[in-house]
Amino acid sequence: MLNILRAAGLAVLFATAPAFAQEETLRPEIPADAEIRTVIAKAVDDFIRPGYRDFHAAAGALAGEMDALCAAPSPDALAQAKAAFAEAALSWARVEIVRTGPAIEDNRFERILFYPDRKSTGLKQVQALLAKPDDSTTAPGGLSGKSVAMQGFGALEFVLAGTGSEALATEADGFRCRYGRAIAQNIEHIAGELVVLWEAPDGVQQAWKEPGPGNPLFRNTQEAMTALLGVLVHGAEMVRDQRIETFYKGEDSQTFPRQALFWRSGNTWTMVEGNLEGLGRLMHVSDMAALLSEDQTSIIGSVDFVLKSMLRVTGEMNSDIEAAVSDDSQRQKLDFLLVNGRDLIGRLNDQYGGAIGLTSGFSFSDGD
Amino acid sequence: MTWRSGLIDRRGFLRAAGVAFAATLSPRSLMALERADAVYASGFRAADGSFGIATVSERGEIVDRMPLPARAHGMAYSPVSRRAVAFARRPGTFAMAFQPNRSGDPVMITAPDGRHFYGHGAFSPDGHFLYTSENDFDGNRGMIGVYDANDDFARIGEFDALGIGTHDMTVSDDGRTLVVANGGIETHPDFGRTKLNLDRMEPSLVLLDARDGQLIQKHTLPATLRQLSTRHLAIGDKGKIWFAGQWEGARNALPPLVGRVSPGDDIGFVSLPERITDGLANYVGAIAVNRRDGIVGLTSPKGGLAVSLDARTGAVLREERIPDAAGVAPAGHGIAVSSYDGRFNQTRSGVAWDQHIIRLQ
Repeated sequence: MLNILRAAGLAVLFATAPAFAQEETLRPEIPADAEIRTVIAKAVDDFIRPGYRDFHAAAGALAGEMDALCAAPSPDALAQAKAAFAEAALSWARVEIVRTGPAIEDNRFERILFYPDRKSTGLKQVQALLAKPDDSTTAPGGLSGKSVAMQGFGALEFVLAGTGSEALATEADGFRCRYGRAIAQNIEHIAGELVVLWEAPDGVQQAWKEPGPGNPLFRNTQEAMTALLGVLVHGAEMVRDQRIETFYKGEDSQTFPRQALFWRSGNTWTMVEGNLEGLGRLMHVSDMAALLSEDQTSIIGSVDFVLKSMLRVTGEMNSDIEAAVSDDSQRQKLDFLLVNGRDLIGRLNDQYGGAIGLTSGFSFSDGD
Repeated sequence: MTWRSGLIDRRGFLRAAGVAFAATLSPRSLMALERADAVYASGFRAADGSFGIATVSERGEIVDRMPLPARAHGMAYSPVSRRAVAFARRPGTFAMAFQPNRSGDPVMITAPDGRHFYGHGAFSPDGHFLYTSENDFDGNRGMIGVYDANDDFARIGEFDALGIGTHDMTVSDDGRTLVVANGGIETHPDFGRTKLNLDRMEPSLVLLDARDGQLIQKHTLPATLRQLSTRHLAIGDKGKIWFAGQWEGARNALPPLVGRVSPGDDIGFVSLPERITDGLANYVGAIAVNRRDGIVGLTSPKGGLAVSLDARTGAVLREERIPDAAGVAPAGHGIAVSSYDGRFNQTRSGVAWDQHIIRLQ
């Protein structure tokens, strides 16, 4: 190219014409637009939207149980509220991996769950509030203007399972219970917003399904597919880096069991389970395998295998995190989850992304 | 981008590298180096998933490779001390100082507690000090770390970058001014690379006194452009500072992506044709200036486009579709371009080139 340009008397502005291959690697073709659109539509209609609807329903059930607990406290009502908390948290965990769109607008993500919280900001604020009740927090809509750390699952977990929570079983309509109910209602409200925003036919779902020049999110199907793959990759990273490594970084590292999410209520693994289930469900219901060539479909099988292995081991984990990090066999399982978590990220990021011709596995163009 | 000095030819590099270095090269690498008019360095990911830094000929042929513990991002080079530094991709905590001719042992620099590197840095013109962009993540403020290159890169101080989400930084030719691009996006290592404040970004360009970190000038962006993250820098002729941004607002907006400012002046944006702004996909990943040719080079991996501008007028001189276009650097003539999918100028290699290239001297 240089000689041609020089001969033509033109300035050489780039020197990029590929003329020589040191180690040639062929890049797979990016799947056809129609194929990607089908996958995206399934991801939206069969995973994201039902995921938020389920979460909204579970959050509503939680608010109902909190209401019942406040009206008629009893050990049984408290147990019911705790069970509803676990269900709602699990429901959130499944769709939590969609860390994009309305979920990250207006601080919704942090308002639903403020975590990690290494400085225990939420705990301190909740403890201060319980020590000095402020009725403005329990008024309808009163929480939405408060610190995000006081609004979501983290705060509610302390209400239900933290120091002093046993009083909930006996004290009718006490401040602690009313605050817990307000949190549950707040979560239900935010979940409702997510449902409304994703259900609007001309809103975010349309932006995902119909990439194009005028689209506020994606100019083409490749950008939308990169974002969808990002949901999986970043979700897998979250499980490993934020849900496990926050308290266990490996064999020779110090452990921090009280940094584990929901260690008080024994729901640490509930969340990991929900996240892993969400990853698998998204991959399958959107039929991401359809974008792979025949000789590459085993990638989905291998991702599935890793996910199932991790789910199996998650089910064998002790919900008492303090005990888990102190027990050799449990630590081996934690190591297994860390190793396989890394493997999962690689399989999604590099193998699947590479197989459909995206280098999103290398960079999601997220600030590099 | 930190290139700011004269070009080096292959004889210069070979002379600097020495006979011992040449003797370590394979015949193919030596041949590549001998016929090169210029030499670059860039981070890469190899096919086996490992990371490293490579020196590269002007044709894009890999001359030498050096392993890294994790992924690198930007690089700095001192033509005086002939030392280079590769910075970990954010939120990484290592930077590796080394001599491209492999004389001397590499020095691993570790970010202090409570800080991580943002992926960029620059040497003072005499090579004595290394300045790095860092995140004080619990304080949510960008910092400029100061390291003594003559004392094994001991950390000797830090300056407040006077903004959040600091990314690229460079040093003026006379060494008196640090130029800092505060991208305005809050991140925290607890949340990986997640952007935490897209609805309340605070991008800015800041000029600091290199002696004491005192503020010389701070440019914020107008309210309509508060979602334009100012991320990459290059110094042009007469101290002109070129900056490139990444737009976090609506994808169908057409914000200005490139601008320039001279010390003492207000910032100005380059009015790019709509076709080019659209082609850059609202995301410029790297910028470089070839002062001799008066050209500014831009790349967008998201848009798969490389663009060169007239440094005097801002007019588009050339555009080229390059899928996953990554790094840019001043070439002997024009602009060198690499890509995530292994392309570096005329050569395609079995590596993924990282986002930035540095010209060695």
